[in-house]
Amino acid sequence: MSAPAAITSPAALGPRTVPLVPHAGMPSAVQSRMRRVTFFSLVFLGTVIGGWLMFLMLQPNGFTWYKIGMLAIFLPLYYLLNVGFWTALIGLWIINRPKPDAIDLFRTIARENANDPLGATTAITVPVYNEDVTRVYEGIRAIYHSLEQTGQIKHFDFFILSDSDDTNKWIEEEASWLELCRQLNAFGRIFYRKRRKPINRKSGNMSDFCRRWGKRYRYMIVMDADSVMSGKLLVDMVRIMEKNPGLGILQTFPKQIGAETFLGRVMQFGQALYGPTFIAGLNYWQGGEANFWGHNAILRLAPFIEYCALPPLPAKVPFGGHIMSHDFVEAALMRKAGYAVRLLVSSAGSYEEGPPTLIDTLKRDRRWCLGNMQHFWLLFAKGWHPMSRINFFHGIMCYGSSPLWLGFLILGTIMAAHDGITGAKSTFAGELLLGFTVMFIFMPKVLILLDELVTGRMFQPFRLRILTVFSSLLDTFVFTLMAPIMMIFHTRFVFNTIIGKSVSWVAQRRKLHPGLDWREPILTFGTSALIGLAWAVLAFFISHQFLIWISPVLVALMLSVPFAILTSSTRTFQRLGLFLTPEELNPVPVLQSLRDHMNEVKDRPKLPQEIEQRFGLVQAILDPYVNGLHVSLLRRRKSPHHSREYLAYLSHKMLAQGPDSLTGRELSAVMYDPDSVTHLHYQLWSSLEEQLATFWRVAIRQYNLVAPNPFFHLLSQRKTPETVV
Amino acid sequence: MDAVTIHFAPKTGTEEEWNEAYARLADYFRSYRLHNRIRRTQVILETLRRAAEAHEKDSAKSPTAHAIGQARLMLHDWLGDIYKGMELTDSQLEASGRLGFHLCDGPNRWPHFFIDRENLPVDMSEAMRSAVRTSGPRLQVSKMTPRPIDLGIIGDVAEDTFEGGRPALVRYLILLIVIAGVLTAIYWLTTYWVASL
Repeated sequence: MSAPAAITSPAALGPRTVPLVPHAGMPSAVQSRMRRVTFFSLVFLGTVIGGWLMFLMLQPNGFTWYKIGMLAIFLPLYYLLNVGFWTALIGLWIINRPKPDAIDLFRTIARENANDPLGATTAITVPVYNEDVTRVYEGIRAIYHSLEQTGQIKHFDFFILSDSDDTNKWIEEEASWLELCRQLNAFGRIFYRKRRKPINRKSGNMSDFCRRWGKRYRYMIVMDADSVMSGKLLVDMVRIMEKNPGLGILQTFPKQIGAETFLGRVMQFGQALYGPTFIAGLNYWQGGEANFWGHNAILRLAPFIEYCALPPLPAKVPFGGHIMSHDFVEAALMRKAGYAVRLLVSSAGSYEEGPPTLIDTLKRDRRWCLGNMQHFWLLFAKGWHPMSRINFFHGIMCYGSSPLWLGFLILGTIMAAHDGITGAKSTFAGELLLGFTVMFIFMPKVLILLDELVTGRMFQPFRLRILTVFSSLLDTFVFTLMAPIMMIFHTRFVFNTIIGKSVSWVAQRRKLHPGLDWREPILTFGTSALIGLAWAVLAFFISHQFLIWISPVLVALMLSVPFAILTSSTRTFQRLGLFLTPEELNPVPVLQSLRDHMNEVKDRPKLPQEIEQRFGLVQAILDPYVNGLHVSLLRRRKSPHHSREYLAYLSHKMLAQGPDSLTGRELSAVMYDPDSVTHLHYQLWSSLEEQLATFWRVAIRQYNLVAPNPFFHLLSQRKTPETVV
Repeated sequence: MDAVTIHFAPKTGTEEEWNEAYARLADYFRSYRLHNRIRRTQVILETLRRAAEAHEKDSAKSPTAHAIGQARLMLHDWLGDIYKGMELTDSQLEASGRLGFHLCDGPNRWPHFFIDRENLPVDMSEAMRSAVRTSGPRLQVSKMTPRPIDLGIIGDVAEDTFEGGRPALVRYLILLIVIAGVLTAIYWLTTYWVASL
């Protein structure tokens, strides 16, 4: 496929956005304009009506500073509310139309050619950072099998791109890579690469891949460590890219799977029920200027390498420096270069896992907040497509809206303490505004529920549709309690970002480990609960009516500790049929395959804890094959004499005093040196018991008594059924 | 049965030390997943015989250390024959060789030929040689150079404020005063207008 004419022209390198080349499946300029005019006119109308009612409500007794502040804050908040409302409404209209959307990309690939070989090679990249090794590799196995079933596996290569700095995880990743390749006979199709220095985190990891192997492939499908995609969708995505050479990035909608906690299941359910409607609405008005979410997406590699390398931002980290949320910026750069960025509206085939608890959600949001706040630099940069600016703005406002909401509530409290709302006209405007606001918040949910009741889009049996209604009522209750807590934390994150507090890169917890630590929720949410309590006392003295008005927010804050604890529970009401998703009830084969293999590994007897925690390290030193694998994968470097002596000292210390006597960096230095690792293997087996630390004595004993084959311990040995698609 | 009737009578070291060496060697060869016990015993006894000779020459090292050292030497020589001509360094030879034996399922397919330099089945050698793996395909290096993004007014303000001189600061101070003035004017106008309604 050749690139569009405009893209090969020098204009692509210029300061302005290159127009899209009209092509099948691409929205034309007129189409895009009409859709955006419609959408933003509705949003504008809703915001103006809300603003006018607010103005009328605040008008009595003159405009004091706090009233002006409230009005100023209200407008952007109401704008965002309207964006959500109209996106959902348009989405509902789109998914209920008898014909598919005119810009639906699936229309561009002919069904009769579904078995034709693909004309392009695609790299599936899985960046990992100290992840659960079993989950990552079993996910890859499921995708691999699913692709095999399509008959197109030969057009795909897998790359596990590790930035893990936990030595134990690193060795487990290596051993699992070898075992998976052996089991699937996939040497030369699944590759493993470990970076010594994780420069620029995930975006640096991907750039490193592009620099090393990017030229070998026409497309790159970017996964997260917990992503799962069906072979059929992967093949369809490549076909769509082949048919639409003007398409730079195609983003799928990853549905959440695998939740095991109450909150996880509620969020998973909410996303399954409301998500497709919002995605259809987003696709309507974003058109060829959609966003990239960093994973479960396919990228055209040549323009990505040419135009999407990220420069550092001015000023120092955290607000400047390396761009953390790289995906939005890459989408904007791709679009600027004249390539479309599209959302693929599909109901199945793309999956990811969500955070299990409120605390994990907040930890993830802390990183995302910093990344999005950094985009402030780019908001006024030259040459962006206007929609890219809007995407940046919406990203910033995802978090910026929280301090605005908090500010609105504080000013509202001040107003209540001074004069409140007086007069019939003002009260009527207030009531009308409340009605509109409730409608904007809840009407999309109600309509989506009605749609589900009538069409059975998620579930055909009527009993399940009724259960969906109950689940939706409960999730509304959960999200209502959750929103004020998120407001407080997002506000804190925004201010931390502004004052320059950075965020460390930590592995994302995707599963809840047994035994919830109660101290963590108390320490995390204690302050929020106290804020809620103090605010409630203040509101009580201001006026009882005001206390009632603000009570949903304050009750949620006061209950934040028990809320966090209860929602972390693994009692998820699944047996009652609540919060069910189609993926839970009837998992598609790729998910069923993953689940079966994970269960097999989970059911295995565990080793003693200290060995289990350092399983990779123990095997790399003790086991001749894992040791051989690790040394084979290391790059040989010349090291000066003094560092040889130092490494020998560290090796001796590790054997004599145990691995805990070394810092993470020291351990890493030893394990990066091929000679040291080889020497350690023989040294350990040659040493007398009294020369070894207790850890190694136990390890040798355990190794000979109960230790399983290190290559088998982390991966399933189950044969995969033939029907994984 | 000649091979198993090795006379083992070390001239140096105590019985306890040699028993310990035996136990360690047994563990070590078990770690190669050599499930054939007869072959394992043969290899252990041959290794101990060599270790005993080495211990006579250097009794400062323990019999266990000599035993593992001899095992390493035997493995090295065996792998050296298999990978002849492949230009591997010593540590590459050991690492890739061990890995190759595992990948071609050597412990199950050719347990009787483990560390046996006299008998190298051709299919085993070929399988082990072809099992030398790399973890990634051949590099095809591309340049991925970031292009500067013209950040517009925000970037200018930041650059002038953090890196520029005083005039820039004054300029933006004036700009801020103008904006504050406009906002104040809007405030007074709206207040007046609202009051007149």
